[in-house]
Amino acid sequence: MKSYTLLFFFGAALLAGSCRKADVNTGSDFAKIEEQAISDFVHVVAIPGYDELKTKASILNTAISTLNIIPTDANLDAAKIAWRDLRVTWERCEGYLFGPVEDDEYDPETDTWPVSFNDLDSLLASSNPLGVDDIEALNQRSLKGYHPIEYVLWGKEGLQTAAGITDRQKQYVTSLSLHLKSQAEKLYSSWAPGGGNYGQHLLNAGKGSTLYPMKKDAFLAILEGMLAICEEVGEGKMKEPFDTQDPNIVESPFSGNSVSDFRNNITGALNVYKGKFNDDGVGLNELVRAKNIALDNEIQQKFNTAINSFNSITKPFEQAIISERIQCQTVMDALEALSETLDTKLRAFIQQNITD
Amino acid sequence: MRIRKIYWITAILLLPAVFMMCRKASEFDESQYDPRLSGGEATVFDETSKAFGHQVPGLSSHDEHVHEVGDGAVEKTFVTAPAPINSGLGPIFSNVSCISCHHNDGKGNPTAGLVNSSLLIRLSVPGSDAHGGPLAVDGYGLQLQDVAVFGVQPEAKINITYTENPFTFPDGETASLRNPTYTLLNPYKPLPGNLMMSPRMAPPFFGLGLIQSIPESTILAFADENDADGDGISGKANYVYDPYLQKTMIGRFGLKANTATILTQVAGAYNQDMGVTNYVFPKESSFGQSQLDSHVDDPEIADSILNAAEFYIRTLAVPARRNVTDLTVQSGENIFRQLNCVGCHKPTIQTGVDLSLKCVSNQRIHPYTDLLLHDMGDGLADGRPDFKADGKEWKTPALWGIGLFEKTNGVPYYLHDGRARTLEEAILWHGGEAEKAKQGFIQLSSTDRKALIKFLKSL
Repeated sequence: MKSYTLLFFFGAALLAGSCRKADVNTGSDFAKIEEQAISDFVHVVAIPGYDELKTKASILNTAISTLNIIPTDANLDAAKIAWRDLRVTWERCEGYLFGPVEDDEYDPETDTWPVSFNDLDSLLASSNPLGVDDIEALNQRSLKGYHPIEYVLWGKEGLQTAAGITDRQKQYVTSLSLHLKSQAEKLYSSWAPGGGNYGQHLLNAGKGSTLYPMKKDAFLAILEGMLAICEEVGEGKMKEPFDTQDPNIVESPFSGNSVSDFRNNITGALNVYKGKFNDDGVGLNELVRAKNIALDNEIQQKFNTAINSFNSITKPFEQAIISERIQCQTVMDALEALSETLDTKLRAFIQQNITD
Repeated sequence: MRIRKIYWITAILLLPAVFMMCRKASEFDESQYDPRLSGGEATVFDETSKAFGHQVPGLSSHDEHVHEVGDGAVEKTFVTAPAPINSGLGPIFSNVSCISCHHNDGKGNPTAGLVNSSLLIRLSVPGSDAHGGPLAVDGYGLQLQDVAVFGVQPEAKINITYTENPFTFPDGETASLRNPTYTLLNPYKPLPGNLMMSPRMAPPFFGLGLIQSIPESTILAFADENDADGDGISGKANYVYDPYLQKTMIGRFGLKANTATILTQVAGAYNQDMGVTNYVFPKESSFGQSQLDSHVDDPEIADSILNAAEFYIRTLAVPARRNVTDLTVQSGENIFRQLNCVGCHKPTIQTGVDLSLKCVSNQRIHPYTDLLLHDMGDGLADGRPDFKADGKEWKTPALWGIGLFEKTNGVPYYLHDGRARTLEEAILWHGGEAEKAKQGFIQLSSTDRKALIKFLKSL
């Protein structure tokens, strides 16, 4: 009799255990979401992001080539649009600045600020060849990448005209755009299967990867990427010019594109959180939602508040730091609140709940 | 009578105090401490690529602000003067920003002259200067600047080649040690025949506030210059002249402990690595040379920026250890002790009291260094003395964070010039005072060697 009772309890416990298994809170469904979120980070966010980057870098290169052949202001405008459009993608890709982009320094190679005006002027005034190999060989990154292109397309005061672009500048900007294109192609390839296949390190997280021995390590790397860009915008890119009220420190000043850059950085981080780039996928948000809806709501709300707060800045950032200080402060406060939540609550969530 | 009573009362009152003093003198058992806290209170729990870049906990809001200003400062890309911002690069330099060499606040790549290079070469000729330091090379100074702003000739280019030397363990497993050769190409003026060169790769930034807080007496207590205990390990402190404080002090920073303070280390890097003048080193690195520009703009960074950069580096936390309960890691730690690696790589040190910076003050830390100079044998010798360090001696590098180099750097490199690509290679390069420990490592079973490496990776 006693053993039957025991057996009954044992069976009941098993049943209860199997019921709980179906529940995402502790069971295998949560593990499935983990698996899917890592896979989607690689296949829906990271690689498609870099794929779009290389496509848009190619479009910019074509637009600049067209401008060189037919130097009209309409073609100059088209090149400017292509530059801005490429920036949208790049700034969003900065939502995950880890892996080859960091290890192989694609970021400083293409997005160094400030531009070295003196060396740029000396270079253009010299007889130094300006082919793409010559550009790649330059030992100063402040002469390469997005911002020198921006400088040539817009001019120092933002008043460039197609007729005002010299032959040397044309050669230079063409090679710069080719360099940018080749960097984007290499970056894409570094993640893609058949290339460096960095994505596989993440896909192997918790399954033999030395870089990510546990799945938790992959999610923490993803979190650090999101957090780093939110902090960089709020505490660096915005705060420093704001505190010093020095428009010279603002990035992308020739095009007046800074606020757009900032907003796209944060959108990029939100994309990472939601496991999307263009297509929707499964992100960290679904893991959080499975166990703590309130936290997911809080994170998404703080992301949205931060992203929407940029709308209140109506002037280019280099002017806004002087004349729209309250609006700038509001954005920085929203970013600080977002960073704080990611750094404490989301980090604690990952550490407590992702244990494999 | 009354007096006697007071004596008694005093004696009774003192008794607990005496007991308390006794208790104070005894230490907690090792197991009472959390082994993950490599930096004591100044430890941070992050094992991602950003692990070296966190501020120590508990800074005041003012100190946090200064730390953040310093964080921004070390990321700044300098450009040719005159410029509206970040003016003052070069005219000759090694790289354009602190983080170009110190990747993710850590180490970098053992290449020279490229945009992502982290290796430089110190120069001197035989003899010593008025303060016992190395003797500068006429027209070159004490450090080679192998890059220049557009249109200016660098001092020379550095060429690095490697020869692979295969190594076989007694159990048949193999490794390969790459032996570097450094040559200078296209010097802007003839180099002396008796030139001495020392390659140095950028070391990590973090934990240096704690290192600066270690009492000099603690470091000296590790020293055994004449090997009185006969364990084959001597160890001596470097004493170096600090040009800012204008006095001779114990050396703590730099790969030969040739710098006394973080301030001088940072200011020297601005000046020599980037060509950026500052209040500690107000003269251009090209002073007296043909590359010198004519700008009257020194110092090229504000005093407050140099101070903020110094504070940033002083307040970077140490990453916590991982996998400390793993049995293989624990076995590896045991082997590390048994081979007497701890003879130089001291596991535990107590920092001194620093009232200005609580988080580095009086901390029980695990840097795995004694900060002393040791003869490391011919294989690693640079042949270039640096104050009291001779041509075979190097400072024991701290090992904390060494297991994260793969994360922070993509590809990890070890030793003073990044010649070692794995921790195993790094150990096999040890010689001189570390020869015995290395031989012990070689004789280990493959399982035990792997356990030792796994322990190092937990740091």
